[in-house]
Amino acid sequence: MTSTQSTGTDPVTREVIGSALVTTAHEMNNIIVRTAFNPLLYDTKDFAVAVLSPTGELWAEDPGLTIFIGCLPATIKTGLVKHGPEHYRAGDMFIVNDPYLTGTHISDTTVYAPVVHNGALVAFVAVTAHWADVGGRTPGGWDMTSTELYQEGLCFGHQRLVDRDEPVGDLLDLIAGNVRFPEMVRGDLDAQIAACRVGADRVAALCERYGAATVESSMDEIVRGTAETIAQQIRALPDATFTQSVEMDFDGIDPEIRPRLSVSLTVEGERIRASFEGTSGVSQGSMNCTGIGTSSSVLAAIKGLLAPTEPTNAGHLVNVDIELPESSLVNPARPAGSDAFGLVAVAISELTQLALAPLFPDTSRAGSYQLFGLYLFRIDPSAGEPFILIDPIDGGHGGHSQGHGTTAIFMGDGDTLNLPAEVMENQYPIRCLQYALAEDSAGDGSARGGYGVVRDYQVLEAGTLLKYSNENTLDVLARGAEGGGTGRPSYLVLRPGTDSEEVLLRRTNDAGVLRPNDVVRAVSGGGGGWGRPLGHD
Amino acid sequence: MAQLSGRLRVAADVGGTFIDFVAVDENDTIMVDKQPASADRLVQEFAAGLARLGPGEAVTHLAHGTTTAINTIVQEKGARVGLVTTKGFRDVLELGRGGRNEIYNWRFSPPPPLVPRALRLEVDERTLADGRILTAVSPEQVAAIADELAGLEVEAIAVCLLHSYANPEHELAVADVLRARLPGVSVTMSHVVAPEWREFERTSSTVLNAYVHPMFGTYLSRLTERLNTDGYRAPLAIMQSNGGVLSVPRAHSVPVRTLYSGPAGGVVASRALAESLGIEHAICADVGGTTFDVALVVDGDIVERHETRLHERPVLGATVDITSIGAGGGSVAWVDARGALKVGPESAGAKPGPACFGHGGTLATVTDAQLLLGFLDAERFLGGRMKLDVAAAEAAITKHVAEPLGLSLTEACLGIVRIAETNMANAVRAITVQRGLDPREFALITYGGGGGLFGASLAEELGVRQVVAPRAAEAFSAWGILASDYSEDLSVTRVFQLQENAVDDAVRELTNLAAAVTDGLADYGLPRDQVRLHHAADVRFAGQHHTVTVPIEAAWIGDPATLLPGVEQAFRTLHTRMYGPRTSDSVLEVVTLRVRGSVPVPRPHWPPLPEREPGPAREHRPVCLTERHGPTPVHVRDSLAVGQRVGGPAVVEEWANTVLVPAGWAAHLDEHGHLRLYSTDDATGAGR
Repeated sequence: MTSTQSTGTDPVTREVIGSALVTTAHEMNNIIVRTAFNPLLYDTKDFAVAVLSPTGELWAEDPGLTIFIGCLPATIKTGLVKHGPEHYRAGDMFIVNDPYLTGTHISDTTVYAPVVHNGALVAFVAVTAHWADVGGRTPGGWDMTSTELYQEGLCFGHQRLVDRDEPVGDLLDLIAGNVRFPEMVRGDLDAQIAACRVGADRVAALCERYGAATVESSMDEIVRGTAETIAQQIRALPDATFTQSVEMDFDGIDPEIRPRLSVSLTVEGERIRASFEGTSGVSQGSMNCTGIGTSSSVLAAIKGLLAPTEPTNAGHLVNVDIELPESSLVNPARPAGSDAFGLVAVAISELTQLALAPLFPDTSRAGSYQLFGLYLFRIDPSAGEPFILIDPIDGGHGGHSQGHGTTAIFMGDGDTLNLPAEVMENQYPIRCLQYALAEDSAGDGSARGGYGVVRDYQVLEAGTLLKYSNENTLDVLARGAEGGGTGRPSYLVLRPGTDSEEVLLRRTNDAGVLRPNDVVRAVSGGGGGWGRPLGHD
Repeated sequence: MAQLSGRLRVAADVGGTFIDFVAVDENDTIMVDKQPASADRLVQEFAAGLARLGPGEAVTHLAHGTTTAINTIVQEKGARVGLVTTKGFRDVLELGRGGRNEIYNWRFSPPPPLVPRALRLEVDERTLADGRILTAVSPEQVAAIADELAGLEVEAIAVCLLHSYANPEHELAVADVLRARLPGVSVTMSHVVAPEWREFERTSSTVLNAYVHPMFGTYLSRLTERLNTDGYRAPLAIMQSNGGVLSVPRAHSVPVRTLYSGPAGGVVASRALAESLGIEHAICADVGGTTFDVALVVDGDIVERHETRLHERPVLGATVDITSIGAGGGSVAWVDARGALKVGPESAGAKPGPACFGHGGTLATVTDAQLLLGFLDAERFLGGRMKLDVAAAEAAITKHVAEPLGLSLTEACLGIVRIAETNMANAVRAITVQRGLDPREFALITYGGGGGLFGASLAEELGVRQVVAPRAAEAFSAWGILASDYSEDLSVTRVFQLQENAVDDAVRELTNLAAAVTDGLADYGLPRDQVRLHHAADVRFAGQHHTVTVPIEAAWIGDPATLLPGVEQAFRTLHTRMYGPRTSDSVLEVVTLRVRGSVPVPRPHWPPLPEREPGPAREHRPVCLTERHGPTPVHVRDSLAVGQRVGGPAVVEEWANTVLVPAGWAAHLDEHGHLRLYSTDDATGAGR
């Protein structure tokens, strides 16, 4: 079984190799979850792992979030463009987080390793992970007001992090001196290095056993087979164009500016084309999604409609053409800020899903709540020990032909786990007073939307600050389908039930200093309903 | 059948279609028997099977593996449960942890909660993370809740209050009122089921316990009543998921601990076998009709986990760490939309079963492929009780695999077996390499109906050089249940940094747990001085979330100055083995302290095999182990002499089991009747 024929590997060996790489990706994922220091990795799963061809095509992945589907292949390709394949030696690892090379934002730092077998570059393994901090103007990133990349933090562009099995001490030192939570960042970086090392070992062992040429040709055939099936699925759809658009809440700087995001999806033969005509120009603030991230967001939505549960490879990504308008919200030029890219990226995925929903009655749903989460933190050590609680909040997803919508984390995330009240109260000076379903949040329908949640945080100590993300509160994306109603958007209430109660909709970097015993109530949005509500015929 | 005499020790393992019995007398004579089982007559069948082994008064130890709890959950036949929570948290059960583990499935939805919202009521009370009471319980309010639950006609109640792992006072107070007002309704408190943090996982475990509690209690009462009537005086011991047995009253209160009772038995038997053979590390592989269940013995100990998921519902508590994948004899081979050959996870089950069973199955299964490759004898399956239909197997594999892929029939069969084997090997790799263990340092113990057919080839795939196909493999789990000690686990969540000033507290907590465990075992009549204690702590680098369970040696507790360095060193070694070296360091943190108390039962021994002359091969039949069918000797296991060498390729058959010995392998029966297979290649040959 070690033949190196160029055409036609046998189907059994092919399956054996394909499943070995999926297993490798699972193993890398497990290492990150089990050893990371940062709740954004072990609970939120804001990371992705992938095994890729020597040219950067996706062979196998096991991401925590959907948004990364096209980002890791693109990241490896930008590295190959910068360095050329001969630059990649056995035992090396590289680091990159420049959003214009990776597609997301500067907090998502990719570590990747070439797999070298018998002196030849045969594959890459890669891990991208959201770091707790990369320096920049605000702790933990997500600075919605940054106007250029340079304000957002420490930027890497495919530098060598590990040099023939030796971590580059000067670089590690530089990192430690430029991030706010250096222990946490180093712990996470260790997890990334460990995952890459194990991944590279596994792929090398597979090449040793079957021959690198057999591994490569097997994966080529698996990718080709997937692409052909996807093409058939698309060919079976009627040719048509669907457009969905939304007016975002504001651009991060000027409350009066409502950037517009518009996606048109055209099914033509065996391909789908996405275009963004009518989309606004580059935002002043950081609410921009670079071209790689925009493409990835479209691809994630389409993958879920076409093949929701099968392991992803490059074949799922090749039948989609994406036209990116220059200097736009969805394709800014360096160095425009992109720290709040997620607001745009999640909306792109949602719009794509909504637009194509009529063609996919069995895998689509009505609209869902959008990115919503808060930070409670203390930076000033004179007020008490610094901490940062980052809490992405679950909400309602759209109803669909087979049932009510679910309550879970938003579309752009994935296997993101919420923070148990008992863990929160053990680890932070915060008390959780309630975690409940918000029954009035869901869009009505024969299948109603999923409920949002109500979550109350009581601040126990002085010096605690609040910032939060929220989006699509004015032009709500939790749109009903087939006659269903729209879900209610997410909002925050400061000090509910008191004289100084305050309802907050618009996201902000700085909601002020809270006093001990102040309560912050987060109420997430519900999902859109599907079908005309009963009794409304 | 062997004649038993004198006092008997007996184990019964209830499975889907049979109850397996193993009895051992004072002379180590073993009797193995099977009794057909049906859910509605289980007690009668249990009694009938037991009666055949000997008189009731002769039985001195009776251990029982049960599927009652897991079947109740899988078939969703449990009680109508009411849930009482802290104010503000009744929806935790429904909200779960919010992750979408099929991340691109836009319709992903977790299973619905076992307790609907209307049956989830809140008490206005609050305990804090450190155990202090913030808001006291009002008995009047709980009384009103009891009345409401009575009106809702609940049959069982789960009580899960925030931070009850730190201080159970409020759960006890609430349960007192509920029990007083609702006699006859079972009440489960979360701190009894799992005194560990994370309210969703604890609530889920508590609700599952309440859900199975009434039915499990009824079964146990009926069974003990019947055994009493029939003259049995030995206390009944119930097998639990952690590989130990519990007394009836204890099992009655925490039936959720018996979910993996049967599979745990096989792993305990593997450990006992490994110990008797001097094997340190063993892969325990149970190849059944629908699943491949694999677990590990490392350094002579069973590898456990502290959380499992049943249909996406978490259950906290120590469980033998069994990974189950859909790869067994009945697993269906199919070609997916893009022309890839897949095996499982769907299974043809027992009915209709593989095409060759002739019960109307038309899908291609692993068993069909094994028949056509000559691994199985169409005339002698299950000792000739069942004739296999070769033509039906050919038709199924031709239609579903060979033709769509353009393969010959033999290529298709080899492919099916190889894919099934790959799936099994990937499962074994996942549980070994993820712990930093190298599967090549293990021996493989295979049991279950299909174990012998896969043993050597799976070993080859993993680079394992030694395989054991145990004697009486069909009752292997029952054997393990007979060898299971009484055991009781207690744990408590206490989050603290591992520093000098924390040592005294840690020792105090461990001592308290040990006392409670010992009291628990003594309460059921077990001798206090025979309780063996094992301490452990779940440790992590401060900042990490997930922990590594580190054993704590008794000497460290006696001499607290050694505790800190002992735990630290053990943790670092384990962490490095599992995840590799780190470039940074940080202080360690303890999350959970654990104590297990066990009271050993007498170990059963496999008696030596009687001497007999080496038996020749019964016949040669065409078997295809690599590329084509060739005449291959078929040996009858019961006619092999101790030490008689069978070189591969060969087949060794007994009535319910077939063991393949491929080329490059040899086998012999050891003195206790276990078939030992070993690779005859040089050391580098199998170590891929």
